[in-house]
Amino acid sequence: MRTTFFVAFVVASSIAIEGQAPAALPRGADGKPDLSGVWQPSSRRPGKWEDANNGLGVGGTGKDPGAPPSLGSQQVITDPAPYQPWAAARVLESYNKRGIDDPAALCLPLGVPRLVLVSLFPIEIVQTPQKVVFLYEYMNVFRSIPIGGSHPPDVVPTYLGDSVGRWEGNTLVVDVVGFNDKTWLTGTGTFHSEALHVVERYTRVSKDQIDYEALIEDPKVLTRPWTIRTTMMLREGTRVQEYVCAENNQDPAQYERLLKEGVGFRR
Amino acid sequence: MPRRTACVVAAAVALAILGAPARAHLSFGAEYDSNQPVTVTGVVIRIEWTNPHSFLHIDVAEPGGGKASWKFEGYPPNALSRTGWKRDVTIKAGDTVTVSGWRARLGGTLAHSREVTFADGSKLFFGPPAGTGDGGATPAVKVP
Repeated sequence: MRTTFFVAFVVASSIAIEGQAPAALPRGADGKPDLSGVWQPSSRRPGKWEDANNGLGVGGTGKDPGAPPSLGSQQVITDPAPYQPWAAARVLESYNKRGIDDPAALCLPLGVPRLVLVSLFPIEIVQTPQKVVFLYEYMNVFRSIPIGGSHPPDVVPTYLGDSVGRWEGNTLVVDVVGFNDKTWLTGTGTFHSEALHVVERYTRVSKDQIDYEALIEDPKVLTRPWTIRTTMMLREGTRVQEYVCAENNQDPAQYERLLKEGVGFRR
Repeated sequence: MPRRTACVVAAAVALAILGAPARAHLSFGAEYDSNQPVTVTGVVIRIEWTNPHSFLHIDVAEPGGGKASWKFEGYPPNALSRTGWKRDVTIKAGDTVTVSGWRARLGGTLAHSREVTFADGSKLFFGPPAGTGDGGATPAVKVP
């Protein structure tokens, strides 16, 4: 048995040496992949923030106009959201109103998994064997997720829900329940009910990249479970900073005026 | 067509097809009209380095005398810093700049800024592309 492990180790090592010699996957003291670091969500480009964001998209410097933009939820999600017909009509109404009813326009937190679809702001992950902490620059919210255990029986609905983590091989699986119904799942108008259940999977596939997948279940508004996928890229040298959204939020007042004065802004 | 221009056009077409990437929360597309581009040159009065968005105030000389006070909305300070802006260094009150963007649907001298050109000809983005945050090219659900 011991010999088998040793042979497997030698073979694996040889493959790594013969290939592009990728940087070793960082691991914690418990041997689990270590997700700690500052990450840019919904990007596919490795490197420092300024180098990976030199295109023309949102947050890009435009120094290389041909560079690909970061990913948006439409680029990440190829499968249209499977809403029940009445719910799809409501999603479409938000879209036609160009998203002026976005909860985030009131400085409320993004929900899960929308948090991982806005690439303008970094996310810091701090991991120990007992817990994984996500620090989101956008809206300055956090999730402190215990490894192991179960959801408390009396979860009070919240924006980010109640998260419990576990390891499945090299993948951190986070089970989230206990959501309120005040956030959007992904893009404009993608509302949900308090019955929402999300299972997130974080797999660090290389030093630079985490593959992210979210299985979304909400039998009250969706016709079937819905899976979305994106990637998060390591941004060495970037720090998660303060973001106090309520400081000078002038936009809701502008939306009010658009509606009050009957200005045409709908699609 | 020069190579750089071709790249810009190709990127713009790709953006139009794929929709606004990485949308911020605010619907620039509701508040500002992508069919009303505007470019003005004026003197910096002040910058509000505030969340969720910053504002650049400039005074623009009017043809018949007097001046118009323009207000341009743009990125939050953290995003500006990551795109190369340095508070109180990049521009200061009294500097002359050219700002391009799109006018507010409500009219007046309010606009959404995209690019700022400084006196030495260098440029930085102060805000995202037109239509950011308004849901992109297609809705999340299939239209029946």
